[in-house]
Amino acid sequence: MNKSMTQSQKLMVFVLSMSLYGLATLFTELIPSFQVGIVEFSVEYFIFIPIALAILFDPLSAALGAATGEIIFSEIMLGQFGGLGELEKFITITIAIYIAGRLVRDPKNVKNVAMVALLAVAIQQLMGATVDILKVQFAIEGFEAVPGLPESVFFTEGFACLNDIVFSGVLFSMIPSAYLVPRLYGKIEPLLGVRPRDRETKISGVKLSPKVIGICLVAFLVAIGGEFLSETGMSLIDWEASWAESGISIVMSMLLAVVVIGAVVIKMKRRTNLEVTYD
Amino acid sequence: MKAVTEQLWDKFSLDFLRNQVLKNAYGNDDTIIAKIDPRTLLIWYIFFGVFPWFMHNPTLLLGLFIFVAVTTRLAKVAPLVLVLFCFGVFTQSGYLLIVSWFFGGNLETLAPLLIMTLKVSITSLASITVFSGLNPDRLASGLLWFGCPDQFAFSIAFAYRILPILMEEFQNILLSYRLRGQAPDNSGWRGKIRYVIYQVRIIMLSFLPLMLNIAKRSRTTVEALELRGYRYANQNKVIKKMKIKMLQLSQLDFYFALISIAWLWGCFVVAS
Repeated sequence: MNKSMTQSQKLMVFVLSMSLYGLATLFTELIPSFQVGIVEFSVEYFIFIPIALAILFDPLSAALGAATGEIIFSEIMLGQFGGLGELEKFITITIAIYIAGRLVRDPKNVKNVAMVALLAVAIQQLMGATVDILKVQFAIEGFEAVPGLPESVFFTEGFACLNDIVFSGVLFSMIPSAYLVPRLYGKIEPLLGVRPRDRETKISGVKLSPKVIGICLVAFLVAIGGEFLSETGMSLIDWEASWAESGISIVMSMLLAVVVIGAVVIKMKRRTNLEVTYD
Repeated sequence: MKAVTEQLWDKFSLDFLRNQVLKNAYGNDDTIIAKIDPRTLLIWYIFFGVFPWFMHNPTLLLGLFIFVAVTTRLAKVAPLVLVLFCFGVFTQSGYLLIVSWFFGGNLETLAPLLIMTLKVSITSLASITVFSGLNPDRLASGLLWFGCPDQFAFSIAFAYRILPILMEEFQNILLSYRLRGQAPDNSGWRGKIRYVIYQVRIIMLSFLPLMLNIAKRSRTTVEALELRGYRYANQNKVIKKMKIKMLQLSQLDFYFALISIAWLWGCFVVAS
């Protein structure tokens, strides 16, 4: 008996994750947020839904489904599609949920599930904050020279990130995941015709995945590293000086990173599409 | 005042949300923007979504802003979408401005922030034009033409059809939870907070039965897809060609491209 999921079962998980998380993002867009001083109590996302699905089923399908669902339901349907910025969200959400799904070996271990759910939010928020800071830096010419702006951007982003990790991480990821996963375990699997996941279950892309995550992280670090090197004036590359605007080199490195990350994701997706298994 | 807030809450009911989203998706097939070929619009969007980020000239950006504002008007976008757009843009920039004052910012901080707001607005309005103006099926086949994975194109078409069903199901579960529990008193600001926490908690709890229901649905969906050979059709080039056959460039596309380029050129001339 083969213990991995078939291709159509993976498609089921994809559709399930997409519709549920998509619906959830529609609500989180509209729930009002509270601001006490600078501490914001807002419902950032119901990330516990895809995390629970990634833990119970195939992580990659659940992660890609959730990221697709968010883009389609809350961005394209509500007409808020923001172009390149959405690529960043897509990648960070996919990576975070995928890692969460991979880290749990036994869904019945509640402590493990809770820790992983919190970790996933931390990963996603840290990546998101980094990209956000970089985005403001590109958009404003002579960013460093504007009085008070660099500090305020670093402060708001850093604080928002910490705020979300603590608030969303605990309330909307850790607690609900720890509540949902044991209740769904053994109940939701028969509905898809899947065996409940246990320690022996094979997860797709076992050999590939750590490498893929590594590549994603390296691409991400390259983007950040290139950014900070050029900011401090330590030009590693000589021809940088010959550029008309110093901003262009940053933009180029960022674009390159985006292309690399995009290519990796597409490759990941191709692989999952191509590996057809029959039971 | 109380009546006004109650009216606002009524507006934000699930039915309202569903109607707005569906209206946005299917309600405006008769606009000029909807008649333009999706491929033309997507190329147009890629340009307007990326190009403004590299420009720093306020005159040029203002010119682009006026242009995308006009196209948004032509697309007859649903009001909810526009409200969300304004809210998003102004809270982001406004918040940053207020915080920067604490770090010794002054009026000079305002100008770069306004330029950034302008850039965000241009790219968002361009995307509203394209993604709200187009019927989802046309959008999906346009994306397919550009080699976008079929799974994504399928997801768009599927999402628009499943959304009303999903919302109805969710609403039923939510109402049954409300029937069984007692909502806390929502007078005073403490009561208001307690009320919102109660609502959010119920929304989260409702996802447990919803997950089980949708699991059944997605199995049915995928089985129906498999019966029609969806995964094999996915990899078959002939079928893909048949799917995107409906796309045809017309004179309208030509004029649209021409006007866009002419306007852009005009902006460049004025700005430099």
